[in-house]
Amino acid sequence: MIQPFTPEPIRFVAEDGTPVQPLPERYTPEVLRDLHRLMLQAREFDRKLITLLRQGRTTFYAQSSGMEATQVGLARSIRVGHDWVWPYYRDHTLGLAMGVPMAELISQCLGTNSDSCRGRQMPHHFAAQRQNFVSISSSIASQVPPAAGNAMAQKYLGVDEITVCTFGDGATSEGDWHAGMNMAGAAQAPALFVCENNQWAISTSIREQTASETIHIKAKAYGMPGYYVDGNDIIAVMEVCSFAAEQVRSGQGPALVECLTYRVGSHSNADADAEKHYRTREEVDAWLARDPITRLENLLAHLGHPVTAEERAALIAQTHREVDEQVLAAEATGQPDWRIMFEDVYADLPDHLRQQEAFLRAEQTGGRA
Amino acid sequence: MTATQTRPEAAPMTTGRTINLIQAVTEAIAEEMERDQRVVLFGEDVGARGGVFMATAGLQERFGKHRVFDTPLSEASIVGAAVGMAVRGLRPIAEIQFADYMGPGFDQIISQAAKIRYRSAGQFTAPMVIRTPSGGGVKGGHHHSQSPESYYTHTPGLKVVMPSTPYDAKGLLKAALRGEDPVIYFEPKRLYRAAKGEVPDHDYVVKLGEAAVRREGSDLSLIGYGGVMPDLEKAADALAAEGVSVEVIDLRSLVPWDRDRVLTSVQKTGRAVLVSEAPRISNFMGEVAYVIQEQAFDYLTAPVGQVAGFDTPYPYVQDKVYLPGANRIVAACVQALNY
Repeated sequence: MIQPFTPEPIRFVAEDGTPVQPLPERYTPEVLRDLHRLMLQAREFDRKLITLLRQGRTTFYAQSSGMEATQVGLARSIRVGHDWVWPYYRDHTLGLAMGVPMAELISQCLGTNSDSCRGRQMPHHFAAQRQNFVSISSSIASQVPPAAGNAMAQKYLGVDEITVCTFGDGATSEGDWHAGMNMAGAAQAPALFVCENNQWAISTSIREQTASETIHIKAKAYGMPGYYVDGNDIIAVMEVCSFAAEQVRSGQGPALVECLTYRVGSHSNADADAEKHYRTREEVDAWLARDPITRLENLLAHLGHPVTAEERAALIAQTHREVDEQVLAAEATGQPDWRIMFEDVYADLPDHLRQQEAFLRAEQTGGRA
Repeated sequence: MTATQTRPEAAPMTTGRTINLIQAVTEAIAEEMERDQRVVLFGEDVGARGGVFMATAGLQERFGKHRVFDTPLSEASIVGAAVGMAVRGLRPIAEIQFADYMGPGFDQIISQAAKIRYRSAGQFTAPMVIRTPSGGGVKGGHHHSQSPESYYTHTPGLKVVMPSTPYDAKGLLKAALRGEDPVIYFEPKRLYRAAKGEVPDHDYVVKLGEAAVRREGSDLSLIGYGGVMPDLEKAADALAAEGVSVEVIDLRSLVPWDRDRVLTSVQKTGRAVLVSEAPRISNFMGEVAYVIQEQAFDYLTAPVGQVAGFDTPYPYVQDKVYLPGANRIVAACVQALNY
């Protein structure tokens, strides 16, 4: 039984890897190593994608470095492909951990023919049907009311699925967030809301975002439990999210989990030098000391199963190789042609789009319509 | 040049009952809920109250609170929840109490409902219907009388319809519910009880995107939709008394709209007057006018006329003055005829 509305974030492991409360049995060395592998892979994925950005092979990227424990932990707390997820735009690590193939993420970032979204969205805005990972929208918090509706439909259909909806701290200021939270609460819908509180909405700090001391406390207003968790402690994230997910699944209505974490990098390539403009080096360094990957490595060492430097280097090298291969494979599929612009606007192509397609066909083929 | 001969679209040959427009809406919802368990209906006051206009009266009693239910007072929630339900496999009908209140749901309509098929390349879709009373003529002031359809016709991914007869109201709503796209279904509230007509006893749909020729004529094409249609008929009657043969077209659907029917008509008559009660600037009829001049310029004997609302917020006291009535429509037609 995990208690909601704790004054301090729930944690299981201290920064130095020492458990601060007994670890549940399910965290075997194999499980912990698997979590470590996923987090490290996601971190290196970030690094490689930033490189691609600098090479001009993609145009936008929003890192999740520093937030791996929150996203991997959440992915490991739900039934992938069974539950439904309405993500936000910094959730590629969540996607990776849910089993969205790296090739799919890369293809989407490159907008190639192998992109399952067919080059329709800016980089980093995925959708993955097999994982019920619903399309990402750039407009902040606009996924929250639909997530409530998704959960209401699950309740109507009588299925044991839940809906997971993620967002950053900034999203909690939007009207859509409050509307969706209230709707889910009123409908007692099986929705798990997860705030990935990385403390900065581009350059606006959480302190400028709200006078509320925490985000999770807002759950009270919507008649649902609010859990406060150390988002850099993957075991704490998994324990709290799994507990909340099962409460939601058992028909007890929605829940909100606030994962207190930190975005180590910039918001995106649009503000690559964050420290220069809106936050201090000291603040970043303090959070680097709480790094989720290092913390898990410390725990593994504490338990007598250390990750060796060689193992770490091999995993990093393997991820880099895999990204390189997938980039080349994605690029080899070429860019989608102009025809895709007109498809999927409606279920069928209406006449006015048929005419516009004909115009563009003529233009693109030098008048040979 | 005498008017007029009606065509099937004007008064469908039915052996059914005569009902009003709001009854047609209720019947369409009830029949679709009967036919398809995926159809659910919700909004503010749609349950026990039956909606502020009673469009959903009796439906909660008949189908239960799990299928017909009141929601929190939040258009963003109502529209957004409909998107999520549709994505998960239901066929939601979301009622927005007045079209004027769609503002808080606007982001959900344009960012989610309209886009999810496109941006996910069909991996996720949101077939749903947003029903909402719109238009003036009921002394509602600017927050109960506006005609915001052009905001939505401007958004790819949405279909937009507005019936003016019970037959169309029922048939279009059924078609919208059976389609695969999000549809904004505007109900001209001043016709709720004023528009009466026959509907068949059997199941039928009116395909989206097909205009109706309400009466045939040879001198001028008078084109409108929704609440202004009775005024178009009155204007056509007045002109017929003067020996002018007016063809009256009801667009019924704005996206997609029936270019062929409009162009065929204008090519025959050589004159067009377009009528809507929405403010003139960026009015949807501007698009119709553009297509007429682009595709039928050589047939035109006069500039395309337009009768629209004024570019002011909708006034309360001057309700009837604001609306384009038959006299203003006749004047625009005379101007085109005398050009």
